[in-house]
Amino acid sequence: MTFADLLLQQTINGLSLGAMYSLLALGFTLVYGILELINFSHFNVFMIGSFVALWTLQMFGLSGQEIILAGLPLAGVLLVGFAVTMVFCGGLGVVIERVTLRPLRNVKGPAAMITSIGVSYILFNVVLLTVGADSKNFPNPLPAIRYHIGGATLDFRVILIWIIASLLMGGLYLFVQRSRLGKAMRATAQDPEAARMMGVDVDKVVIIAFFLGSALAGAGGMIFGLYYNFTSFIIGFTAGLRAFTAAVLGGIGNVPGAMVGGVLIGLIEAMGGQFIATAWTDVIIFSILVLVLVFKPTGLFGRLAPTRS
Amino acid sequence: MITRRVATSLFAATAVTAGAGIRAGHAADKVVKIGVDLSLTGADAQEATKVKDATQMAFDEANTRNLVPGYTFELLILDDGTATAGQYDPAQAATNARRMVSDSDVVGALGPEMSGAGKAMTPILSQGGLATITMSSTNPDITNPKFAAQYRPAGKPIYFRTVTTDAFQGPNMANFFADVLKVKSVFVLDDSGAFGVGVADSFQAQAEKKGIKVLGRDRLDPKAADYSAVLTKIKSLDAEGMYYGGVAQAGVKLAKQAYDIIPKVTKGGPDGMTTSDLLSGAGFPAVEGWYTSIAAPHLVDDGKAAKFVADFKKEFGTAPSDYSITAYDAALVMIDAVKRSAAAGGVTRDAVQAALMTTKLPTIQGTVSFDANGDLADRTVSVFHIEKDPTKPLDDVSAQYKYIAVAPQS
Repeated sequence: MTFADLLLQQTINGLSLGAMYSLLALGFTLVYGILELINFSHFNVFMIGSFVALWTLQMFGLSGQEIILAGLPLAGVLLVGFAVTMVFCGGLGVVIERVTLRPLRNVKGPAAMITSIGVSYILFNVVLLTVGADSKNFPNPLPAIRYHIGGATLDFRVILIWIIASLLMGGLYLFVQRSRLGKAMRATAQDPEAARMMGVDVDKVVIIAFFLGSALAGAGGMIFGLYYNFTSFIIGFTAGLRAFTAAVLGGIGNVPGAMVGGVLIGLIEAMGGQFIATAWTDVIIFSILVLVLVFKPTGLFGRLAPTRS
Repeated sequence: MITRRVATSLFAATAVTAGAGIRAGHAADKVVKIGVDLSLTGADAQEATKVKDATQMAFDEANTRNLVPGYTFELLILDDGTATAGQYDPAQAATNARRMVSDSDVVGALGPEMSGAGKAMTPILSQGGLATITMSSTNPDITNPKFAAQYRPAGKPIYFRTVTTDAFQGPNMANFFADVLKVKSVFVLDDSGAFGVGVADSFQAQAEKKGIKVLGRDRLDPKAADYSAVLTKIKSLDAEGMYYGGVAQAGVKLAKQAYDIIPKVTKGGPDGMTTSDLLSGAGFPAVEGWYTSIAAPHLVDDGKAAKFVADFKKEFGTAPSDYSITAYDAALVMIDAVKRSAAAGGVTRDAVQAALMTTKLPTIQGTVSFDANGDLADRTVSVFHIEKDPTKPLDDVSAQYKYIAVAPQS
């Protein structure tokens, strides 16, 4: 491989990782933007998403790596897989909000954040104790098509992941910017009191933010499974922490910031592994985070959070 | 409402039921407790269960056949795996060691399986004078007199093994890479654990001695999911071989991604990769072609082990692993030590430790005896090659790992 091929290959690796981090970072940012709450249960909603996707695909008779689909059957399976996973995880997010976080909404201090950490551990242990600790083989129905660009290879599944992630993120962006509910979300994010006085149903907005964020985490979980072909109860932590970092890096509460932050973290991870060492990945990621925050405390794109009137 | 009396009787009833299975027939015997520490939760759980079953089998036989007259064995089985770690957790292992040491009925111990757990347990076991026999932990530092202050502060060797150490497992595999596979250049990885780092270090040192060019060394975070960056680096360096020191948690993901990125590179790993957890987690075709080792002779297919294998299959409905056999052997050695100390006047921790030092016992793997540090006198390392046998269950180690040879000794 020439140096250019190498850079290209690591960019491809980084962008695939970044797509996943971005989807996950959006959930942190949506909720933070509205509630100023760092929702740690998000880590394991993502993990549960990968299991829901696994079981959905298994219901189609897919298991292991042997069955490859193409054309319409593939599109159908993926569509149903994503739909089921996203609706389930979205619903889970709403339940978590309604049962554990809403009662604490007006409690000052870290109570809600600690509760979300607790919920995260509950989800994590429930999966561990019910499905077991070993890594589960995730079906891979995507055809093994590879494109060669110089010495670098680009898998079909990587392209598909980029497309799906871009569609989801683009859809979210349009929803927030264009739709009536999106406008209500932005209004609530700017000033919840004023929004309420103008007739915005704040509870509904919060529920939508949790639903959308958790649904994207679910999609991220399914993408994780399709990309790495395994899942396990433990996948939420490293991915969740890096995605959270991405959200802060981009400017927490800021939707485009989360997307760019995710891609940046992915690229940093890939290039760091090439030119420094994989062992140093976390040191590199968090050093960059610290540097950015020291010089620009609001993150790259500026932090967006409710202003309390 | 549960009153204190009800609670007491409930508790008593549970305790009696729990004890009943083992004590049957020898109610008047003195109870000898053996602590057992295994990684029953996490990525290595399948292998741990096979080890636990074999251990249990040996002690059940000893009790029913009344091998040590006047004494009944009881096992105190503890789990050093935790959900948060996703695999063995040294902190939990230390807690377990404390529990064994503080229970005065415990006169000997078996385990742990993992060197990282062993390093955490030995200082506590040493202070408590409690000897243990590990069936699979291979990090050489634990028994090395150089580190005696750390791992046996009370002085006496208390860590015995029915496997050899990574002082042989890593280097002998390096010899195999150089002499048999004729690999000219390697990239070495580990999984950040005590075992993984140790075996990768010893592989690397011997590889350099044998003239293999070591192109680089990196460390994987077992909780991370993506190793494509370092694998792309290995590809860009045109490495002929890759050696991964570590256990299944990172190994599963590494095998999958290595298959995509560096399919033609010769891949090797230690006993942490000789496990059904790899077969079920990574699966074929990703695992095909890996060379892995165990720090013991290969016995499952050996005629000497036929009876054990058959009994095990009958009892548990699944095939044992090679480390089931070293665990069974460890149990036999422990039973023998208890028997000899009983005959010599009293079953105490000191007597059991002294008896272990002078062990010379025919077991399934041959005659077990220990050197002055507790290491196994026999130093065989066996090499396997993963070759798909579609007629057998795809997660069956004995079917999918083809035995190649004993790795060349240095």
